[in-house]
Amino acid sequence: MSGPALVFEGASYAYEEAARESVSDVSLTVDAGEWVGVTGPTNSGKSTLCLLAMGLAPHFFGGRLRGKVTVLGRQTETVSVIERSSEVGLLFQNPFTQVSGARERVDEEVAFGPECHGVPSEDVAARVEEAMTLVGIAHLACRHPLDLSGGQLQRLALAGLLAMRPKLLLLDEPTSQLDPAGTSAIFEVLGGLHGRGTTIVMVEHRLETLSELCARVVVMAGGRVLADGAPGDVFNREAVQQRAGMPVFARLAREAALPGPLPVTLNAAVAAFARNGFG
Amino acid sequence: MLAFGDQGPRRGYTLGVLDAFKFRLNTLAIVLIPVCIAIDWAGHALATTLKLPLFLDSIGTVLGGLLAGPWVGGLAGLITNFISSGTVDPIAAPYCVISLAIGIAAGIGGYYGWHKTWPGRIALYVLIVLVASIGSTPLNINLYGGQSGVAFGDTVIYAPLVKAGWPTWLAAYLDELSGDLPDKLITVVVGILIFFGLPNRYRALFSVWRRSPAQAEPAPAS
Amino acid sequence: MAGGLSLYAEGHSLLHRAHPLTKGVLTLSAIALAFTAPSATWVAGVLAVLLVLVAFAGVIRRLLAVAVAILLPITVLLFVVQGFANASNRTVVFGLGPIVYYREGLAFAAFAALRIACLVCATFLFSFTTRPADISEALMQRGLSPRMGYVLQSALQIIPQTLEMAGRIQDAQRARGLETEGSLRRRARAYLPLMLPLVLSSLVATQERAMALEVRGFGLPVKRIARYAFRDTTPQHVLRWALALAVPAAIVARVVGWR
Repeated sequence: MSGPALVFEGASYAYEEAARESVSDVSLTVDAGEWVGVTGPTNSGKSTLCLLAMGLAPHFFGGRLRGKVTVLGRQTETVSVIERSSEVGLLFQNPFTQVSGARERVDEEVAFGPECHGVPSEDVAARVEEAMTLVGIAHLACRHPLDLSGGQLQRLALAGLLAMRPKLLLLDEPTSQLDPAGTSAIFEVLGGLHGRGTTIVMVEHRLETLSELCARVVVMAGGRVLADGAPGDVFNREAVQQRAGMPVFARLAREAALPGPLPVTLNAAVAAFARNGFG
Repeated sequence: MLAFGDQGPRRGYTLGVLDAFKFRLNTLAIVLIPVCIAIDWAGHALATTLKLPLFLDSIGTVLGGLLAGPWVGGLAGLITNFISSGTVDPIAAPYCVISLAIGIAAGIGGYYGWHKTWPGRIALYVLIVLVASIGSTPLNINLYGGQSGVAFGDTVIYAPLVKAGWPTWLAAYLDELSGDLPDKLITVVVGILIFFGLPNRYRALFSVWRRSPAQAEPAPAS
Repeated sequence: MAGGLSLYAEGHSLLHRAHPLTKGVLTLSAIALAFTAPSATWVAGVLAVLLVLVAFAGVIRRLLAVAVAILLPITVLLFVVQGFANASNRTVVFGLGPIVYYREGLAFAAFAALRIACLVCATFLFSFTTRPADISEALMQRGLSPRMGYVLQSALQIIPQTLEMAGRIQDAQRARGLETEGSLRRRARAYLPLMLPLVLSSLVATQERAMALEVRGFGLPVKRIARYAFRDTTPQHVLRWALALAVPAAIVARVVGWR
């Protein structure tokens, strides 16, 4: 596949009967294989970006879209959400509402997506095995989905998406309802996917995680792109610091009055403190 | 007749009714149907737990119809009946067509907004009672010789009337009516109360038909 | 779990292994024949055949327990009312003071009760020997839209979940002081405060569920691939046709004068 994975060109979107747009004049390009973090204060339009990339906005929500959103070479207005689902996946926040509710076993649940796409049975079995192993729930294959914990359910939901082998994976605060163990499990899986070339766009509040995992961070505020670049650059900008905050390492360095740009990851912080005579 | 709701008269009488069916079921409607089926079951279970002398097994059906039209209401009623026939109450199986009809009636009423005006609400109740009683009576006559299967109606209405020489079909109808009048009244009342007890966005969300007036251009986000 | 709703009883009889369509046709034609048969003797015959099949399937004890519980109230009601008040009552059988019972009414009650017993046993014969998952799979293999198949499968899971939630809401509301016992008025007043929260929590996730389904491709107009195959043999095929033809044959026989 050539060309960028996701392109917003002057995209503006307003939900049905909304007085204001949720995103205004957003332009950004995500190349294949990138892992982009998206963050910002509440109501900055971050979730809407994911919904636009998936096509749920405008197909599911109605509303009004201006500008262009092109995903994997095709404009979202011409492709329905279910058509998109073979190459794009979207993982939501709530682990409990992503279960189909129509399957009694974890492995059958993972097979739901491929079955909807008419994938032949032998291929389904192979994909299910692959997806469950990727997220680490193969040992739960025979369990009833309702018996799983939140973290396990979120991994199950992710497996369900991965069974479709998506080229672009969107995640809307995937770990906000999980405990630390569940959280790190998800990020481990994402790391593996990134290594295999999947394009990932992840909305995430934890700035430390974003700075650690993503080579590029997009900061949204008021429905517009406030900043777009490497985390080290982005979180050193005052406008970003004021509206979206900064990783705790940067805050620490600022409180300690370290000279130079503020570090945004643990390693950078350790190095910065070491350079300046601490530890 | 269809002008009971807040939508005003529609073009033609018969053609207007079919308008309510002209919507393809979207994913939201498909997801709503099992929820309505579960509400049917829960409504009945709750009535049993509280020892109320009513069935109240169609609240989900009526609510589904009011929210999303006759397809959702009808399918919810039909499938509720199928599932309960296969598990706890096989005797209800022949009455599946009645449950279907109640859901359709509620759906047509929902489409025309009958539940929003007082004349409309009464019309909805009357329609559902008529559908239930007129539909059930022939089934009762075939299965139970005219009894409704409810002890009160059978012993207090059916038996004395037949004994007094009234025609069986009339005694059967009044027997059935004695059960339907209170049961469907509470069903429709609870259904409408729940409908208006839902947050606004749910009501807008599930309505398969969009009737929002032309909107002003939205302002930019910031 | 969905099993809470289903009557399915594990087993390996011929009936358990038969194609759901065969069992479906068997159930429907048994019911149709029971209601076409002209007299109680014939109906009793159908019932006897059904009970033999039930025994053969190895579920007779469980089935009878459930069936009798359902049939007893309506049977009693039929005898009590029809014996007393059937339109064709003529011959007195016994009397309890002013209440006189007639043979015609009692005979009719027996006839009606037998037919209903056939309805119940035929339905349960199906339910006890067929997995719910198999029902939706068989229907979809025969052309039911996958979206409707989803509705069935989802309903079977969501019903027990909702009933459980109803119980929890009841406990919570009672802890807040809601009266659920006492006079009819008091009990009736508790209905809405128990139903409304239940409906609200049932509806709250539907939008997210719908989105999550679409993201997985739910509703794609592709030809559905069977998840597994059912054992369908020629004898079953023949049996289905024979049963299906027996019903119109019986109807014609009734019209022509079968008594």
